[in-house]
Amino acid sequence: MAHEILAATNAVVTLDAAIPGIVWPWLVTVNMWAKSIGTGVIFMLFMLLRMYPEQAGKLRLPTAIVAFVFINIFLLFTLADLHQPFRMWHIFVYSNWTSAIAIGSFMASTFLGLLTFLGYLAYKKDYVMFDKVLLWTTILAIPVTLYTAGLMAQCTARELWQMPTESAQMILAALLSGSAFMILMGGSKLNDEAKNTLSVVLGLSALMAFIIYMSEYIFGPMKAEEVAATIDYVKSGGQYSVMFWLGQWMAYLLPMLFIVLSRTSKSESILKLAAILALVGLAIVKHVWLMIPQLLPMS
Amino acid sequence: MQLGFLVDLHLCMGCKGCEVACKVENEVPLSTWRLRVKYVDVGTFPETKRTFTPLRCNHCENAPCERICPVSALHYLENGIVNIDKERCIGCAGCVMACPYGAIYIDPQTQTADKCTFCAHRVASSMMPACVVACPVQANIFGDLDDPTSNISKYIQVSQGGVQVRKPEKGTNPHHYYVGGGNVTLNPLASHRTNGHSLFNKITTLPVGGHH
Repeated sequence: MAHEILAATNAVVTLDAAIPGIVWPWLVTVNMWAKSIGTGVIFMLFMLLRMYPEQAGKLRLPTAIVAFVFINIFLLFTLADLHQPFRMWHIFVYSNWTSAIAIGSFMASTFLGLLTFLGYLAYKKDYVMFDKVLLWTTILAIPVTLYTAGLMAQCTARELWQMPTESAQMILAALLSGSAFMILMGGSKLNDEAKNTLSVVLGLSALMAFIIYMSEYIFGPMKAEEVAATIDYVKSGGQYSVMFWLGQWMAYLLPMLFIVLSRTSKSESILKLAAILALVGLAIVKHVWLMIPQLLPMS
Repeated sequence: MQLGFLVDLHLCMGCKGCEVACKVENEVPLSTWRLRVKYVDVGTFPETKRTFTPLRCNHCENAPCERICPVSALHYLENGIVNIDKERCIGCAGCVMACPYGAIYIDPQTQTADKCTFCAHRVASSMMPACVVACPVQANIFGDLDDPTSNISKYIQVSQGGVQVRKPEKGTNPHHYYVGGGNVTLNPLASHRTNGHSLFNKITTLPVGGHH
């Protein structure tokens, strides 16, 4: 609609204050990426313990440590992104319960507490209690993964971010990064069958995420002019176009291809390459999707 | 009471008196604006004209900024104003991301969110907002939308179909109205933004609190 008006009126903005530009910078990309790994490895450990209890048992402590580290990275970058980081405690004292940020802060803090406890239990080799706590940690990991999608959905100004697609993408990102990290971390602790299972999770989550991105890329602009204008930043060339396609290839297409290759050639090296590409590519994909809605003029 | 704002774009001549008055009244730092007037040039030379659109917080009934703020720094006053408590703000910029009107910014001096408050401090003392007082052509009309005898209510009644809000599809129910607006003035996607094609391209910002 708007582009037809542009042609008819030749309207040009000749004076306006600069738009805020990038409000949520790369710090937020790292935030989302680290959270995906932190929750994803918990999902994977939960699955592996049920399917391959003997081998996955050796991964209890390493997984708890990895999840603890990445959730701390996530929280650290969240804090670093605040303009008033020393007021962080306001969230817990003046909580606004309609805000995904407030709810997410409580959930992430509880999640970190459970991860610390899991680490302690794994260190003490109390595996019965570990598995009980892991169940609740895994359940909590779901909303911890999803709340960022809720936050993005609450950004009324950014039409591109819709809750149904963002929540699916968040869960898929956690499965993708969790399986990729577990493939790298598993090493000799996991047998071929367990690695095959992880590669299936990695491949399917890559496929599903790619389908959603392509659906938004192709069909999103047909529904809303703001989405069309936003997607245009990746369609019309430039750095975000390059980054978008680089991310799609690295995070989804190449890992899918390499997983097939690794299974046919029984090569663990190719599988590890797929995992590394997926982890790096995911950060690029998330960064592009975070940036492009912020380029749109709001006034 | 539900305070609201209406700008008659037929009257606005882009003098920026409102902008300056707002800056002075609220001590808005350099490089930031609570209120600004957007110029859009329409047509092809020599058949051209310039439109002026004052832009400020819309004080939405269903404000995305209030909903997303984790610490309720953005909150409603009883008179309908969406106010901000800068002492409580943690600077997460969620409100900046949520506002569909680009009306919120991070104050470079306090590192907290800031925006137009309809001059809530003046309203509390029964004074008009600074921009209303400064406007030489009374293009800014401010008052109680719940009072049918207020100027703004009468203006809306008279203008009827000519009253518009920005981005109604967002469901924010703004309490800021425009008369004489159109797609070019109210829809940011209906005009080009060409680099190097705007007035005052060389705007520079002074170092905060420093010498120059």
